[in-house]
Amino acid sequence: MNRPPDAFPRLPRSWWLKHRYFKAYMLREATVLPLIFFLLCLMGGLWALYRGEEAWAAWLVFMRSPLVVALNLLALAASLYHAATFFVLFPRVMPLRLGRRAIAPQAIVAGQWVGVMIIGLLFFWLFGRT
Amino acid sequence: MSQPRPSSRQAFDEPLWWLLFSAGGVCFAVLLPATILFFGVLAPLGLLPSNAITAERMTALVFSLPDLAAIGALICLPLFHAAHRCRHGLLDLRLGNDGINKWFMYGLAALLSFAALSLVALGLWR
Amino acid sequence: MTHRALSIRRYLPDQDQASYWQRYEVPADDSTSLLDALHYVKEELDSTLSYRWSCRMAICGSCGVMVNGIPRLGCKTFLRDLPHELRIEPLAHFPVARDLIVDMDVFLDHLAAVKPYLIEDAAVGTFDPAAPTPHRQTPAQLARYRQFANCINCGLCYSACPQFGLNPEFLGPGALALAHRYNLDSRDSGKQARMPVLNRHEGVWSCTFVGFCSQVCPKHVDPAAAVNQGKVEAAKHTLIALFKG
Repeated sequence: MNRPPDAFPRLPRSWWLKHRYFKAYMLREATVLPLIFFLLCLMGGLWALYRGEEAWAAWLVFMRSPLVVALNLLALAASLYHAATFFVLFPRVMPLRLGRRAIAPQAIVAGQWVGVMIIGLLFFWLFGRT
Repeated sequence: MSQPRPSSRQAFDEPLWWLLFSAGGVCFAVLLPATILFFGVLAPLGLLPSNAITAERMTALVFSLPDLAAIGALICLPLFHAAHRCRHGLLDLRLGNDGINKWFMYGLAALLSFAALSLVALGLWR
Repeated sequence: MTHRALSIRRYLPDQDQASYWQRYEVPADDSTSLLDALHYVKEELDSTLSYRWSCRMAICGSCGVMVNGIPRLGCKTFLRDLPHELRIEPLAHFPVARDLIVDMDVFLDHLAAVKPYLIEDAAVGTFDPAAPTPHRQTPAQLARYRQFANCINCGLCYSACPQFGLNPEFLGPGALALAHRYNLDSRDSGKQARMPVLNRHEGVWSCTFVGFCSQVCPKHVDPAAAVNQGKVEAAKHTLIALFKG
């Protein structure tokens, strides 16, 4: 067979810009970037707490700087976008059954959102009350 | 057409990375929104009660045995989740060599996880 | 009856090493499928155009092409549902043989590698019509793999998969979905033979759940779900291998 020279043209680096679906995929993958920033903040908090009261106060000041707040707002949005995309994958990767009946995927997705709410309430119970 | 014989090497390490990635994904999705909301947004904006996160209260809360598990779920597993996605993101963008990227990413996640857990353990011991 | 413009990516290796776009005007109404439009080009306008087709009813899986960058079956795609400007290309990620015809040997090799057929433990005896031994299967056992059994090997999922585009050694959605389909079949005992093929970097572990394969699948097989259920199985396979040493 006459084979063109570029029999298996490798995808260009920009392949994901060609389609809306792939952009959404890359956005999903990129949610970990603000997450990493927040995790490093959290670890800084741990370190500050270990060092003592003054360091903790300095950490709180750092967390108040507008850029940090903006990045953490981004991280919050990213965590919710990640949740929305991750929860729908769960029933597809692990279809659960109750006895002989399969549990509806919508029920599994809803259950996970309930989990998010419960954790939110737990944090409110821990830190939101006077 | 004769394809080169595919490698039959078993990827025995991948299940570990994938399980850590999946567990971290669940933590990122379920636990992190509230964590980010309270510590990244509400506390800095002064929207929490003034005595909620004082150094004294946080020290008692963080340097405790159950908190080792909490740090595992809030920091370590999400770190491995992030490492996995970064590694595959580099593959998607055809950057670097996966053999190196892989150990760099998971190595960094393991190192930071160890640091976080050690801090709690040290605080506990003190 | 209106007229629609169709830009087709031509490639005639005996005339030119490079591909080029050619524009055709075809009549279309509400019932005109993309395959009908290609037939019109071939029969009325330009007999040099090459494309594959057979059944016209989304079961043979041979008329897959890229429509504005998305893999679709020509027979299951109607011009009424598409934007006015149409760009038709051969399926992505495969070597092009001529015009809209691609060389699918890689896909077929990957398919053969996962042994997509029932494998029996016991040696198959000669069929005795006096005492036939049927393979019994309950509806519940059938339900476990049924969705994944609808694959028609059209290859659209391979053209939708960036991981296959980045690395043609990746077994890909179709082959992995069929491997999972046979692993789930109560009559099959070939899982032992398939798992070492799946548990490779080029097996299930190259998948990042982009999920576009499942979007374009004309038979709603959801190969992305099958591949990722395959990861769970590969993890179990690894654990067992570790304990056995």
